[in-house]
Order: sequence, then structure tokens, then C-alpha cells
Amino acid sequence: MSRPAQIDPRGARFTASVTAVLLLVTVALGLVGGVASSLTARAVQPAFVLLALLAAVFVWSSAAGVARNPWSLLFRRLIRPRLAPPAELEDAAPPTFAQGVGAFVTLVGVALHLAGVPYGLVAAASAAFVAAFLNGVFGYCLGCQLYLLLVRAGLVRKAAAV
Amino acid sequence: MDPLLALALVAALVAVATIVGLVWRGTQGRVRRTTGSARLDGVVLASGATFVQFSSEFCAPCRATARVLDELVGSRDGLGHVELDVAERPELAARFGILQTPTTLVVDGRGTVRARIGGAVRRELLTAELDRVLGAPVAA
Repeated sequence: MSRPAQIDPRGARFTASVTAVLLLVTVALGLVGGVASSLTARAVQPAFVLLALLAAVFVWSSAAGVARNPWSLLFRRLIRPRLAPPAELEDAAPPTFAQGVGAFVTLVGVALHLAGVPYGLVAAASAAFVAAFLNGVFGYCLGCQLYLLLVRAGLVRKAAAV
Repeated sequence: MDPLLALALVAALVAVATIVGLVWRGTQGRVRRTTGSARLDGVVLASGATFVQFSSEFCAPCRATARVLDELVGSRDGLGHVELDVAERPELAARFGILQTPTTLVVDGRGTVRARIGGAVRRELLTAELDRVLGAPVAA
């Protein structure tokens, strides 16, 4: 197995926090805007456009690695140069896994909204918000529990290292 | 929806998430005392106490926990640290009902699981627990 990429843990927290704020804005817009009656109208509602953008970012950073997430890049370019070096680096794999979960949840929200399901977008954006908020504010690690559930459910297996 | 109501709901969402976060953080690293035989196939136990740490690939605090445990092992005689990947040993994760990584079991020299710590370990809590485990072995 190749050594996973290393990231500044503060960058991961920053990325999660920015994501949480944008998801909260999505929830607010979704509550105010509701669900439009026609598909074309639903596809241009502000909450939908924002959630679709966030879903695209999640898909991108789960595929390319969290280090290529736009907010991570922002952190490295603008914020990290002004900070002391990090005490230690972290593996990029756990936050990248969380980005994949975020991609799944937000894409469900996108699909529900396009299908015209009331509060589908709000529910998905709220769930993604809670995860991103807990990660950004409390350092909660989604992969620590969710990945284990996949293992326990028999969906993930790995050959024992020799 | 009325914007004021929407704002109130958004504030409620943040409040609920904050409470969940505080409760979650309170549970992390707490030492729960247990009894029961370990049945850890393939794990070699140290004479005093062995930290059996369940970890996974997608777990950020697992590394910090491993470091704390290794330091403790280096500081006293008769201690051991074994790190298991839950994806490699799903049967052990199921047997011990592991719901999060890292989860650390403190197993004494006789193979009894004396304590269990969910989440990143806190050195001072663990040291106190270790004194108890090493000081007074339970009757078999």
C-alpha cells in the first residue's frame, strides 16, 4: 500500500467549517424557497444551485483527494503561510473518506429536490451540515464510525497484512 | 416559508448540532470498566497489561492514540500494545461490539478485559486505570 498523502489537520478543520457554513446557507435557502412546481423551475432555485455546486466539490475532492478541495487550496495559499507550522501532519485518507460521504448525501439531496420531494433538499443538506459542523468545530471524524459500520455490515473487507 | 421561521429553524439546527458535539466530546476517551475473557486469537498478551487498539484506515485520531499507548508501553515494564485494523479483523470488531475507532481494550496478563476506552485515549485517565489493573488482579 502506498503511503497516504499528508495534510495539515487545521486545513481539514477549515475546509469542514467553510463547507458547514455553505450547507447551512443551503438549508436556509431551501426552507425559504420551498420546492418549485416544475422541474425547470426547481433546477434554478438558489438552494438547489448551491447544493449542486457543493455536491460537485464533494465529488471532486473525494476523487482527487481532500488536498485538492478548493477550500483546502484557499487554506494553503492564504492562511497557512501566516500560521506557525503544524505540530504534526495527518493522513489525508480520513477527511477524503468524509468527502465521499458528503458527496453521497448531497447527491441524494439533489436527486430528491429534482424529483420534487418536499424537504428532501433541506434534510440532506441538514445531515451534511451536522457532519461538517461536528468535524470543523469538535474534530469529529466521520470515518471513525461510518467506515466501521460498513465493515461490520460486511460491505468492506481487507486481507490481513502479513 | 417565512424567512424569520427559516432563520429560527436554522438556529435550532446549529443548537442541536452543538449539543450533539458536546455530548460526543464528553464520551471520548472515557474509561469504562469491564470484566470478561478476551478471546483475542492471534494476539500475544504482555504479562502486566496489553492495550488492544482497534483502528482503521480512515481514522484520524487513531495515530495519536497509538503514539500515547506506545509511550506508555515504553515507560513501564510488562506492558504491550497491539493495533488491529478492523477491516482485517472484522470478526474481532463484531465480537467486542466495536462501534468507533479508535477503541482500546485494556487486557490484563490473565486475558481478562479490564477496561475499554472509546475514542482517542486521555493519558491521565489511562494511567490511573493502569495503576488499578496492575495493582490488583481480579480473581479468576
